Amino acid sequence: MRTLASSRWRWLVVPLLAIPLGWLLFQGLGRDPRSIPSPLIGKPLPALAGPTLDSGSFDDASLAGRPAVINVWAAYCVPCRAEHGMLRDLVAQHGDELSVIGVMYQTGEDAARDFRDRYGSGWTELTDPGGRTALDLGVTGPPETFFVDADGIVRYRHIGPLTTDVLREQLAAVGVDL
Amino acid sequence: MRRWLLPLAVAGLVVLGIGALVAARQPAPVLTRDEQAARLAGELRCPDCQGLSVAESHTAAADAIRAEIAEQLAAGRSVDEVRQHFVNRYGQWILLQPADPLVWLLPLVVIAAGVGLFAWWLLGQRQSPSQPEAAGETDAPLMVDDEARRTVRDELEALDG
Repeated sequence: MRTLASSRWRWLVVPLLAIPLGWLLFQGLGRDPRSIPSPLIGKPLPALAGPTLDSGSFDDASLAGRPAVINVWAAYCVPCRAEHGMLRDLVAQHGDELSVIGVMYQTGEDAARDFRDRYGSGWTELTDPGGRTALDLGVTGPPETFFVDADGIVRYRHIGPLTTDVLREQLAAVGVDL
Repeated sequence: MRRWLLPLAVAGLVVLGIGALVAARQPAPVLTRDEQAARLAGELRCPDCQGLSVAESHTAAADAIRAEIAEQLAAGRSVDEVRQHFVNRYGQWILLQPADPLVWLLPLVVIAAGVGLFAWWLLGQRQSPSQPEAAGETDAPLMVDDEARRTVRDELEALDG
């Protein structure tokens, strides 16, 4: 009797094991282990509302019809400093085409004012007491930046400090050309 | 008789499986809202910790999640709905035990494949050395024709003589 083991198909064992394994490992090469895909992408931005740093209150109806950049930051976050400078320039140059909303993450109001005076301001800042807004956005830690199109759909979530390339690319995707 | 064996075995397995499922689901004790909240907090990953559940952590984010769980349960939402609320925002990542069945099945599949391959290899080892002999024995049957008979007789006579 001819067994499977002695058949002429025996050599197939190695490629059958090696090809799927190789494919699996190769897939991992192009993946950033720090990026956790956001389930919000392609969905409407969760309702944003609450008190702002200048003692007003914010309602996301004011975002309607324009692309928005939602930046989650904290006073203890070092990369957020450079990011605030970029956002300040963005608001100065394109403030009429888009909205920028800051969300304070675990940051007291005094620390936030101090930080903004030093590194950049000029946009609405949600104080997010209790951290519920950050929860609704699925934030794991600052800085995180969400790009929302004019229809209110989240198009991209960037974890970590913004770069000019990311900003240019993702703003173009929501219809703002730098 | 014999052809009933397989269906019977399958039916028996199905009954056992359903029984096991029912038994596993039966002792669902009635939990108070606080117990439900604590259990759910134990299932969720604390977003700003390393490998801790919300229940084990006291960071601001873990506190916020606990408050949100308590609030939503108080508003009458079920534990499943509240869990889904967090999955919708953070994805499967927020669950310490993945809900995707593939993750649980894959190790079993890999182990089964390994055992199968080993068995295959073992069978091959046992079979292959005996094969050349078998081939020799069963090779073309001996031909006994007149010439062969004559040769044998001549040689026997030569021995006798």
